[in-house]
Amino acid sequence: MTFLEITEGPLWVLASSVFVLGALWRIVGIIRFGRKPDISIPRASALMGAIKGQFLHFVPHGGFSFRTLYHLVAGYMFHLGLFGLLIYAAPHVLFLKENVVGFDWVTMPRWGFILTAEIAFAGLILLWIRRISDPVMIKISDADDHIASWLTFLAMLTGCLALEESHDSLRALHMLVVEIWLMYFPFSRLMHAVTFMFSRGYTGAFFGRRGVVP
Amino acid sequence: MGKPMKERPTFKHLTVMACLMLLSVWVFAAGMTGSFDLQSQAYAQTGGNVPGKSLGNQSDSDFWRKLRRGQPFNLSGTPGGVQVLIQSPGEEWRSLRNGPLSYWGGLMILVSLAFVVVFFLVHGRIKMTGGRTGRAVPRFSQPERWIHWFIASLFILLAITGLFVMFGRYVILPIIGQQAWSAFASASLQAHNLLGPLFIVALIIMLGVYLKDNIWQKGDLTWVLQGGFFSKGHPPSWKYNLGEKFWYWLLFFAGLAISGSGLLLDFPWLAERVQQLQLAHLIHGGSAVILIAVSLVHIYLGTIGVEGALEGMTQGYVDEKWAKEHHGWWAEEAMAEGEDVVEGAVQTGQPDNMPAE
Repeated sequence: MTFLEITEGPLWVLASSVFVLGALWRIVGIIRFGRKPDISIPRASALMGAIKGQFLHFVPHGGFSFRTLYHLVAGYMFHLGLFGLLIYAAPHVLFLKENVVGFDWVTMPRWGFILTAEIAFAGLILLWIRRISDPVMIKISDADDHIASWLTFLAMLTGCLALEESHDSLRALHMLVVEIWLMYFPFSRLMHAVTFMFSRGYTGAFFGRRGVVP
Repeated sequence: MGKPMKERPTFKHLTVMACLMLLSVWVFAAGMTGSFDLQSQAYAQTGGNVPGKSLGNQSDSDFWRKLRRGQPFNLSGTPGGVQVLIQSPGEEWRSLRNGPLSYWGGLMILVSLAFVVVFFLVHGRIKMTGGRTGRAVPRFSQPERWIHWFIASLFILLAITGLFVMFGRYVILPIIGQQAWSAFASASLQAHNLLGPLFIVALIIMLGVYLKDNIWQKGDLTWVLQGGFFSKGHPPSWKYNLGEKFWYWLLFFAGLAISGSGLLLDFPWLAERVQQLQLAHLIHGGSAVILIAVSLVHIYLGTIGVEGALEGMTQGYVDEKWAKEHHGWWAEEAMAEGEDVVEGAVQTGQPDNMPAE
């Protein structure tokens, strides 16, 4: 069995299983926390507040728009770029078709793939620079944040190294880093990709019930 | 009875065999030329521009001379673009790239590295005389620091991958072998090509952000005349001394040369001729080794070489003592203009003469 066959075979099954089960375990844990009964008289719908909260937090609050401009732009560059690469890059679609879902969908042209990768890389580097240079970010960042940033960077970098798609070893290296990333995901702050919906919903419902725009 | 005697070939047999051989040669030749009298050109060549007999109407030497001089031909299998069989200037480019460029470029980087090591061994870390004051002077704004670290990250990635591409065949290939080197070189090139355009955008922004204080100012020469980095004391200077200004303008010219040539190499269809790509490659490699060599000095002085320099770029503030020692005129100006000196700022640590509690 070659290194590539291991990373695309048993290691892939292991990593994706840990990812799915770990993420489910975290989600169930969050739901089981529940919340204290709110005995106040509702002034408005908590549900509407939760829904509004999901969308309103995609843009910064008016009073903070200038101060958050840097990480707003960098954040969108990175997240949209990464999402585009994950879902619409031709090699990823082919892999997901053959190993996960069994069907394919429209993919980005090569130039779109490269441009999206450039945007994602720029966004990630800018966010990392903020983490190591902003006085507040320095204080609130711990090892988990740095490991998550570097693992994501390495997953993207190894993908970029394998762009020529002509060396099995480079493809296997990319797979290996992605698998480490997948196994780290549920037990780290990378889970924010899922848990942000819960926190926004909770905050939105809390304030929505009190008639306040979250 | 013994074995029957082997019949010896007679003249008749030999004649028949010779005729058969001649016939087969003639059939083969007729098939190749498409004519029974063997007077037509070879069939495979009739569609091309090679006239005459097997060598055409020209001698071998003429034919090869044309090839070597880049004579265009109507080549089968090409889409009508470059129709040159042998790119002779490519041999000159290859010799330059693998010869003087690699040799002197590599030597320049090694000399720079050796210079930094020797400088450190001789001078040690340049410390603040009398210790810190504990008062911090703002030196770099947040946008200045962001763009600096952004371009620094890209520069390091591009320098490492570029060095692999340029020198890997001499240093890495003998260690890991050809097959592994093939993957290694491919990976380096892909990363280099992908991240290059980001460097161009970042470089242009950075050159704009840092331009104002890097223009020539009266007194800049004083810093050099008093010994610069090698002086015993600290010659006064503005926000950037002449050494730092040299680094900025080197980045300006060499960086833009790298960017322009890199774009051409990343998008080769922008070039009209292969020679333009070869020239771009030499400019790219030459400028890059110069920048990498000088960047080693920049990185050394900005980190371990000079106490208190790095925090200006990591936290935005420098100690007042550092500001007055290294950039005296700028410090006076900055403090006179009312830029806040932060008393006891945590960014630069506590003053060395702080009494014990």
